[in-house]
Amino acid sequence: MSRKLWTANLAAAVLVVAGLAWLFTSVFSMLENQTDWSKAWEYRETLWQGWKVTLGISFAALAGSIVFGLLFMLGQRSHLVVVRWVCRAFLEFVRDTPLLVHLLFGYFVIFAPFVSRPLSDLGMNDKLVIGILLLSLFEGAYLGEILRGGVESIPKTQWESARAVGFSPFQVYRYVIFPQALRRVLPAMAGLFVSLIKDSSLLNVIGVTEYFYNTRNFISRSYAGLEGYIPLALGYLVLTLPVAWLAHWLEQRFRHET
Amino acid sequence: MKLEIRELSKRYGSTQALDSLSLEIAAARVLVLIGPSGGGKSTFLRVLGGLETADSGRVSINSRPLAADPAGLQAFRRRNGFLFQQFNLFPHLNALRNIALPLEKVHGHTPEEARGLAEHSLARFGLLEHAHKLPAQLSGGQQQRVGIARAVARKPEILFLDEPTSALDPEMTAEVLELIQELAEAGQDIILSTHEMGFAKAVADQVAFVAAGKIEEHAPPADLFGNATSPVCRRFLSKVMRY
Repeated sequence: MSRKLWTANLAAAVLVVAGLAWLFTSVFSMLENQTDWSKAWEYRETLWQGWKVTLGISFAALAGSIVFGLLFMLGQRSHLVVVRWVCRAFLEFVRDTPLLVHLLFGYFVIFAPFVSRPLSDLGMNDKLVIGILLLSLFEGAYLGEILRGGVESIPKTQWESARAVGFSPFQVYRYVIFPQALRRVLPAMAGLFVSLIKDSSLLNVIGVTEYFYNTRNFISRSYAGLEGYIPLALGYLVLTLPVAWLAHWLEQRFRHET
Repeated sequence: MKLEIRELSKRYGSTQALDSLSLEIAAARVLVLIGPSGGGKSTFLRVLGGLETADSGRVSINSRPLAADPAGLQAFRRRNGFLFQQFNLFPHLNALRNIALPLEKVHGHTPEEARGLAEHSLARFGLLEHAHKLPAQLSGGQQQRVGIARAVARKPEILFLDEPTSALDPEMTAEVLELIQELAEAGQDIILSTHEMGFAKAVADQVAFVAAGKIEEHAPPADLFGNATSPVCRRFLSKVMRY
């Protein structure tokens, strides 16, 4: 690094640190007398329960969105034109309307009247199950498009070579197309999974007692502020950062191979 | 091998790729297709290789009619080998895995057997030292040779080669052509399309001239190159042989 560049970097770093320091001191000095971390400690059990629910929702919806994503991708590549159109229309609808609307409409209008009772009879939390299903569908719609883009980016010669060596249609996908396509869409998929974890907070609107829901309850009951929001942000970071890191690591690992 | 092809037609949109093409060959080891680009060589080869189905017409190879259903065609492709101009190998697998994977998953060999067969096939063509390289780490000529090693690892009835050297420089072309000649001399039945006239002359039992979706003429190489009867074929040969 040249001397000039080094000085410029140093100056930039000093400016950033100074700016952040000023922001934090002014915010915290304003709240000095109002922050009371013992409140958060009192509610730790509820917050911990909520965080675990969010973790569970994230894993379940991640798996669910992969299933739906694959189905939507295959549906759009179907030989049957009706299947292609229905998939296309559904994806377009889902991607162009807010998740909040799907959750409210999907839960209160579509699913709850039909399956809430049977699910409760089975001893399941109907809100949680339906919420995970709706979230999976929403993220699956995006994933379907990502996967389709990846699969269609594989050159035609690879499909042909795979057929020429005698692979069945399933084997063509399994051994030739997916391994190559997944590598290409890994960054986009990681971004989607991070979004999925954050989007799970919206499940609070149908009454799922996840992390955001419990934090909000804690805040409104105890008049807390930062004591609620900081753990909230950290709780989501603990879930999203590993996903981002894992994706980055996988990307690095496969980079030299193509 | 014995070929009987009757009135084969195939359209792509408004292009008539094959226009009731007929060809009968009683016995040939190596059939070479020559002709202008866009004349139907590739389409013809792809139909013969079971990668594409014709709109109409009949094909029988060694007195067996070519299947028309997907399952039958898949079985047919499993008995034969096919190589394209380029990008035949799977870029995410090394040379050895490229050969071993189909042996394992398509032909039901155990992983150890598949590996052994793949190594044997690579060794046969002097490629064993490259076994653990990815396609991107191989030259174009080496990639094509690994592609051929993969295609012949299971002793195919017929090896189909669609302009196997068109994407290669002259040196790499030579190394691939030598390998094909070796295979032909070892008794492998081959149908290939090429623009390498010298090679066609040297290796073919029968040369067929394909233009405008038809076989204009077919004959042993000495006759076709020395004394072509169809004017289209003569014009083509006089052009390509000029330099």
